Amino acid sequence: MRRLGLLLALLPLAGCVRPAEGRALKDLQIGRAEGGGLSVVVEEGLAAVRGLETGALTLWGNAPALRIRATAMAGAPEWWTLVVRNAMPDAVLSAEAGGEPLEVEEGPSLVPTVKTWRVRLPPSGEARLTVAPPDWESPRPFRFAALADVQEALPRVGDIYARMNEDPSLRFIVFSGDLTESGSREQLEEFQERLKDSRVPLYATLGNHETFTLDVQYQELVGRGSQHFSYQGVHFSLLDTGNGTVDPIVEEQLDGWLEEGRDAVHVVGMHIAPLDPVGVRNGSFSSRNEAAALVGKLSRAGVDVTLYGHVHSYYAYSNAGIPAYISGGGGAIPETFDGVGRHYLAVDVDPSSGVEEVAVVRVD
Amino acid sequence: MAHPVISLPLRLGLVLILALWSARASAEGGEPGAASSEQGPVPGAPDAPREVADVALLPAASEDPMGRTSLLGVPTLGQPRPSFQVLPVVASVVPGLLFHGLGPLAAGDTRTAGRLFAMEGTGLGLLLLGVAPIGLTGASRRVIGPLYAVSLTGASLFMLSAMANIYSTVSPAFTPGLAAPRLPPLELDFGYQHVSDPNFDYRHFLALGATARLSSVRLEATARLSSNDANMRIRLGGAYRLIGEPELARGGTDGTALDVEAGVVYHRFPTEGFLMASGEVGLKGRYAMARLSPRLEGSFAEVGAGLALQGYGYFGPVSEDALHQQILFTIAYGVYLGRAGPLRGEALLYYDHRKDDYAGGLKAGAGVPGHFGLRGRVLLSERWGVSADVQAGSAYVARLSAVYTMGGEP
Repeated sequence: MRRLGLLLALLPLAGCVRPAEGRALKDLQIGRAEGGGLSVVVEEGLAAVRGLETGALTLWGNAPALRIRATAMAGAPEWWTLVVRNAMPDAVLSAEAGGEPLEVEEGPSLVPTVKTWRVRLPPSGEARLTVAPPDWESPRPFRFAALADVQEALPRVGDIYARMNEDPSLRFIVFSGDLTESGSREQLEEFQERLKDSRVPLYATLGNHETFTLDVQYQELVGRGSQHFSYQGVHFSLLDTGNGTVDPIVEEQLDGWLEEGRDAVHVVGMHIAPLDPVGVRNGSFSSRNEAAALVGKLSRAGVDVTLYGHVHSYYAYSNAGIPAYISGGGGAIPETFDGVGRHYLAVDVDPSSGVEEVAVVRVD
Repeated sequence: MAHPVISLPLRLGLVLILALWSARASAEGGEPGAASSEQGPVPGAPDAPREVADVALLPAASEDPMGRTSLLGVPTLGQPRPSFQVLPVVASVVPGLLFHGLGPLAAGDTRTAGRLFAMEGTGLGLLLLGVAPIGLTGASRRVIGPLYAVSLTGASLFMLSAMANIYSTVSPAFTPGLAAPRLPPLELDFGYQHVSDPNFDYRHFLALGATARLSSVRLEATARLSSNDANMRIRLGGAYRLIGEPELARGGTDGTALDVEAGVVYHRFPTEGFLMASGEVGLKGRYAMARLSPRLEGSFAEVGAGLALQGYGYFGPVSEDALHQQILFTIAYGVYLGRAGPLRGEALLYYDHRKDDYAGGLKAGAGVPGHFGLRGRVLLSERWGVSADVQAGSAYVARLSAVYTMGGEP
């Protein structure tokens, strides 16, 4: 009993050095749900299950390609409606069970990033569904946008999406945290509602502002804080650094992702940069030792570019030899005297040669 | 506008110098506060068989026959020390941690209370003056240096007044310690350091240190060698006393001093595959709090500020030539331990703004705060003593060392 008391007394201290551990553990549950006679697993947790009731499954996608394993239970309906919000506009659904294709019907799509299908699931056994653009596995050059730090400028974020919509070559947005001012459910839902103005989906990690609520809502509504996906031969790893650290659970996952992307073009994004180019400010990791260890690991694994937010300006520098960009131009209180203002980055990547160009696109 | 890298240490130094200038002026001018420890012995002091008086202190600054207020913290012979009371101790914590004069106020010492309230108010004012523009400018790189200087100075005053508030209520319970009149010319320490960091495998370290004192110069070397990870951190540093008596010959002074410090650090991480080398320079001042109030006799405040430039080298095919700046800032509230004989030392509760050592910064506040610690050193005999340090930041660090001195005070 005394030992238990000591353990309980020490728990808050442990939390002080691993503040992101709870989120790292919760990440492992994202994309899994049971209900309405269906068991669902989104592989790699790349989508949040937003609704699961008899005959209907709704996901919030957080990657261009989603692989879903669905197992119907006894008494479940044959036909299911699958709604994927924040999907690639050209995404299609393919489904199979036991090597046999399943019947799929495409539904109406009033918003480019909201896709609806009906699929006929087998009464027993596992069905495998894939929601992705047809060419998502074919290595070829493409452009994506990098954005971060909308926060209190959420009512004006439509300006940024409007500017992005003028560029038809953008495939999606990589968002490096601080979607909202305090991460409340209402703010996150507003963020997602306003995202309908964007022609392309937005794949995010969280920022320190998403942790300002006691019960962090981000993962339920958006998805994992840390995740990895690939698109057209380019790997993307997004890390939860909302507390200025990478939890050891996430770092172990990262080791696997770095290995997967070792011979490919690899983009790593996170909210708080390991090392702030303005060291006196230190808007970066709490431990410079941890920061140096992380960027050294990324560099040795051949990461091609790192994208950060948190500082509401634009910086181009290098960390451990990796080109690094801070782009916190989503509209939150801007860094004054820098002449930058609201902006995003247009990043051209070629899976055969690396990062071709990173351009600042001003919004105001 | 001056570049923040340049203006920051200048401003911090100015603050320190201004704070300590009055102390030196008072010492040179023969003010009674500075002379207090040179007065004759007082019979009956329980543990003070030495030439320094166990002076009884007025609970508040007194007035001379001409009606002039005496210097801050004038120790006055023949006056009884204030008695210990429980209520002021409680008041100094709740709600005294918010209102920093409440402790002495509850004890009836309005003068000390007023000074602590003023200190807290000034600290909060400076904090607001620094933090608000940081928020409004989005922590602009153009102004962050000076604004941090103002903010950290404010934080120093706030934290020191909080500690002084508590100390002023508990100090009547014991005989305050005194600054050692002479520190040893050579001091060696060796011990064990444990580091609990979830992001690193190292745990166990051999802790070695040496300090040499030569007139106004102090030379220091420390090494931390991991037994299970080959991690190694070495620091070589020195200090030159600008104001105050050298540590080798403090005499009866109260320990108030200002040093300019410099050092180099080499830190190797074989497991993680990188090393860090840095150079740093700064000022560190110590102020005897008895000068602020007699109730605070035996305690001192210590503030240090400086700047470090760091470079990282990565093993393998990684090239990096960037230099990183780091602001250095420490705030400490300490007490002297013992008054005479071999049992002598000091203990400090401190805040350290640096992020590049084993403790790093607290993982709250998005990389801004540093770590907190409690450090102590005490000689148990003429030659031997112990020192210990515990820190809480990104990691927990605890060290216990044996201290061996040569040529120290008897």
